[in-house]
Amino acid sequence: MKKRPRLELIVAGALAILLLVVMPALNAWAPEDSLFYVSNFTINVWGKYLAYGILAISVDLLWGYTGLLSLGQALFFSLGGYMIGMHLMLMIGKLGQYKSDLPDFLVFLGHWFLPSFWKPFSNFFFAALMVFLLPMILSSVFGYLAFRSRIKGVYFSILTQALTYGASLMFFRNDMLMGGNNGFTDFKFLLGADVRTAATQRVLYIFTGLALLAVYFGCRWLTRTKFGLVQRAIRDSETRVLFSGYSAANYKLFVFVVAAGIAALGGALYVPQVGIINPSEMTPDKSLEAVVWVAVGGRGTLFGPILGAVVINALKSWATRAIPDLWLILLGTLFLLVVLFLPQGLISIPARLREMLRRTKPAPTQAPAPQNPNIPAP
Amino acid sequence: MSQKYFQLSAEGINKSFDGFQAIRDLNFYLEEGELRTVIGPNGAGKTTFLDLITGRTRPDTGTIEFEGRHDLGSLSEHEIYRLGIGRKFQTPTVYTDHTVSENLLLSLAGNRGVLASLFFRLSSTQSDKIAEILNLINLAPHRDRKAGTLAHGQKQWLEIGMLLAQDAKLLLVDEPAAGMTDEETAKTGDLLLSLAGKHTIIVIEHDMVFVRQISTGRKVTVLHQGSVLCEGPVDSVQSDPKVIEVYLGRKHAR
Amino acid sequence: MALRFFPLLLCLFSLVFGVARASNPAEVVSKAVLLEDKTEEQISLIQSADPEPQLIALLTLWKEGGILLLEKPDKQKVPVRLEDKKDADDKQAAFLLDGHPLLNAAGQPVRLLASDLSAAETDSELRSAMKSILDLSGLAAPDKTSRLQAVETLGMEQNPARLPALRGRLAKETDAQVLHGINEAIALTEIKSADPETVTSACRTLGDLGSIRSQDALGAIAKESGPQARAAQDALRKIELHLLYVNTLGTLFRGLSLGSVLLVAALGLAVTFGLMGVINMAHGEMIAVGAYTTYVVQCIFGPGLELSPFGLHLSFPSLKATGWLYESYFLFAIPLSFLTAALAGIALERFVIRFLYRRPLESLLATWGVSLVLQQLFRLTFGANNVQVASPSWLSGHWTLNDVSLGWNRVFVIGFAIVIVIGVFLLLSRTPLGLLIRAVMQNRSMAACMGVRTERVNRLTFGLGSGLAGLAGAFLSQIGNVGPSLGQSYIVDAFMTVVVGGVGSLFGTIFSALGIGMADQSLQQILGNPVLGKILVLAGIILFLQWRPAGLFVTSSRSIDN
Repeated sequence: MKKRPRLELIVAGALAILLLVVMPALNAWAPEDSLFYVSNFTINVWGKYLAYGILAISVDLLWGYTGLLSLGQALFFSLGGYMIGMHLMLMIGKLGQYKSDLPDFLVFLGHWFLPSFWKPFSNFFFAALMVFLLPMILSSVFGYLAFRSRIKGVYFSILTQALTYGASLMFFRNDMLMGGNNGFTDFKFLLGADVRTAATQRVLYIFTGLALLAVYFGCRWLTRTKFGLVQRAIRDSETRVLFSGYSAANYKLFVFVVAAGIAALGGALYVPQVGIINPSEMTPDKSLEAVVWVAVGGRGTLFGPILGAVVINALKSWATRAIPDLWLILLGTLFLLVVLFLPQGLISIPARLREMLRRTKPAPTQAPAPQNPNIPAP
Repeated sequence: MSQKYFQLSAEGINKSFDGFQAIRDLNFYLEEGELRTVIGPNGAGKTTFLDLITGRTRPDTGTIEFEGRHDLGSLSEHEIYRLGIGRKFQTPTVYTDHTVSENLLLSLAGNRGVLASLFFRLSSTQSDKIAEILNLINLAPHRDRKAGTLAHGQKQWLEIGMLLAQDAKLLLVDEPAAGMTDEETAKTGDLLLSLAGKHTIIVIEHDMVFVRQISTGRKVTVLHQGSVLCEGPVDSVQSDPKVIEVYLGRKHAR
Repeated sequence: MALRFFPLLLCLFSLVFGVARASNPAEVVSKAVLLEDKTEEQISLIQSADPEPQLIALLTLWKEGGILLLEKPDKQKVPVRLEDKKDADDKQAAFLLDGHPLLNAAGQPVRLLASDLSAAETDSELRSAMKSILDLSGLAAPDKTSRLQAVETLGMEQNPARLPALRGRLAKETDAQVLHGINEAIALTEIKSADPETVTSACRTLGDLGSIRSQDALGAIAKESGPQARAAQDALRKIELHLLYVNTLGTLFRGLSLGSVLLVAALGLAVTFGLMGVINMAHGEMIAVGAYTTYVVQCIFGPGLELSPFGLHLSFPSLKATGWLYESYFLFAIPLSFLTAALAGIALERFVIRFLYRRPLESLLATWGVSLVLQQLFRLTFGANNVQVASPSWLSGHWTLNDVSLGWNRVFVIGFAIVIVIGVFLLLSRTPLGLLIRAVMQNRSMAACMGVRTERVNRLTFGLGSGLAGLAGAFLSQIGNVGPSLGQSYIVDAFMTVVVGGVGSLFGTIFSALGIGMADQSLQQILGNPVLGKILVLAGIILFLQWRPAGLFVTSSRSIDN
């Protein structure tokens, strides 16, 4: 029973070394014709997967641990992406199509000057601050209103869906001055480095992996404190939590804002790697797609969401090329089957198999051992 | 009456649901340290009354005051709890996915803010208290089991244990003996009697044996159709013809 | 001898007929054509004739160069028209203006080459005379629409020469709308007058009439000085008020119709979500099922339909219906869309939802999976682009009442919504099925104990909700595009409608649908920006839920929680 956490740490450590050290090293130094060579394309794709993993953890922190199915995570993810995207747009300088200091789309819309809210984004640190600040402010205002009026369960999902839908409508508009339909693309430089080179992409990839690792351990700590206990208590019986004297609204608000920040971090790392951000990333459907990763991987665990994000996106990369017509049918069916028959996700398969093996032997019925939170005793 | 200090006073309470008048012009006063048993037939408004005290529903008219200072009608559930009012529900309500000791931990008195919960550390007095309660409620061997896997009676005990952990001034106990064996019931009664004096307690109960056990020499309140039918010592209440008509007339004492 | 006397005879002839007002338009036009260069005589001749339809037709033909002159060997000219069809020698059959075939000496029909003939010429003076006859003739047209159009054209001409004709018609006209138009046209012409008093009174009239199309003309006068300028300013103010009134009514009407659309789309959801507590994210796709059913029915009535999803080949026969039979396809489409969507809903309940009754969040996710699959199936079956659903003609016109335009399809949507609401209400309150539905939804286990087959009731209820979505789809096909993502554009709004109305309250759904529809259209009108309006409505809904978290109409009960 005590082995579990250690096993988890060993697996996490091994994966971290493989993804963060071995893969980039093979990409940088292995000869291109060797068996061990990791292509730039692979690094880029995995960078995307890991950024999605961060988004998936934010969904799980809300859904798996607190019972809040937020369909707004894609919104926070893209907001983070947009914030860093604004900086990247300004760093293009005169290299754009119109050879102007302004981003191309502003020139195209007939602007002569940079709108004032764009100006501070030429500073990287301001943009990096806004990556977190804007989504967290938005989520705290929305969360405050929603939780104060005790909107929960599916109502919360529906409202966050509406929030995301409304925001995407706004970003689709040209007069929002955020690139409209086409969003931001054609990035050139980030902190003086050319984002189009393999070396920069490799660094971005490593940073994404480190961020995922930090988010993983941060959430691991969070969910094992007394806060985590209250979180799960809210998921299971919110009314009882109120009658235990906890302000469920405050706890939910806190975790909602933290999750928004995590999603935004994922988005900010995602955008420089894929090289584009537009409002179609912001739709409720994108949020639901992230929910699929969590459901398939295994909610209520921290490793499950990452597993789900990687597996589903790898499947998507393959399917959209091999069977493009059937991809959505495959995704929908897979999701349906997981919800119906494997509610704990892929990560529960080993435990299930063990359970089935045990059942074949006549074993004493023992209630499943719960995991202990590490609330330290003195 | 007016000179006396009341821990809880409810005056002129009315509450209706969809036209059904659950509470009708209810007046109720409780002294500090009292153990009061509330009885009444089904639909008399007993549980609704507890809902009103704990902020689960709001009165249409009337005021409920705690310690002469706090208007319970304007506070939310967790704020009322923090004033020191704890409740055991009619059907046992515990955190089914948490272990028994985690259930008690969540109920321990102390700061319930978000930040405090992030940096919470269990002190030695607190873990002693948990161990003590576990022994008292006979769940020490089951401390690491998930509460959802407990038997019905054990859940009742756990919930009572959660009340104890909270260290509340006013305990509201809704049908604590339901689903317990006679022996367990008697033990519950002893426990409540031992708490009386230190805490103020309202017990709602159907089981007349249990009611006699805990309310001998104390005041019993009979609710009928949302208002107080009569109040007094258990013997005089039981022989009151009004009570016999509405309550005992239909449901004989065991 | 005959030759020498011919012009004289002709003159006499025309004189006689001129006085007697020649009743045969063909003869009048023939004569006028033959007068060739004598423009003045031509004008007086055609003006003297009664403006009956045949004359109008011939004058139009003439103006457009469709009357040709045939020069006989004896130099005598005959006006003719040619049949459209040409034969192998490029010859066309020739007719006299009265419609009789042109005969040769032997009494045989003659065929002519167009190049052998010269067109009857017209000069500008003659053409303007013709145009005025044509316009004026519109005044006497039997159908109201043509009259209205003629009045409008004459008014915009602002030509004082038209006044007598307009006034003449004013005396005869009986239709209120046309009378209104004639008064407007007269006043609009009179403001061109040199007499300031006439102008002043004309301005006043225009103001009273609330004449929107005279705004420009009045604006010009308002810039002048004198009493007429003041009158024009007054008139402009009145017209603006009228315009405000028209816009407000128009907004209300559009709000009402948008509200009805929302209502129809949300009503099914109010049943599945409100009564059963099931979040069906595939509700939008049920709407699309209804819309595509309508499309298929239309194709069967019309040209037939070939579909090839997954390499299968599906062929729907064509009934080759035309006329009223084709127009009535929609009447068949309505019940069929209900049925297909209801069957799809029952299947969804049977295979997915019934496993998830106690897990609302999971049912949300599972049905979203279903919605993805369905959308892709639509795409593979019907193509990724929108399909064309033609509205029957009885849904494509519009009424204009006091400058407010009411589209028939929108009026129909409103009426249809009312019918469905009444139908659902009656079904739930007056039928045994309704009683069972209400019983099961209120207390499932109790109903089960009473011997109600709750599984069957669930299935039927879900079928009803989905069927209503199908009806909504049949309808949306008449006012918008039908494509694979049709449902997606309504699902958010539909959920909002149910949440705002109060889950479980059909009444609330009605109120909130109308409220949201009105708010949306008014904001759109005020802000002049549909997207901003929509965003404000969404923000408004979130704030509204602060005030009433459980929606407009919520039944307070002891078991709200959990």
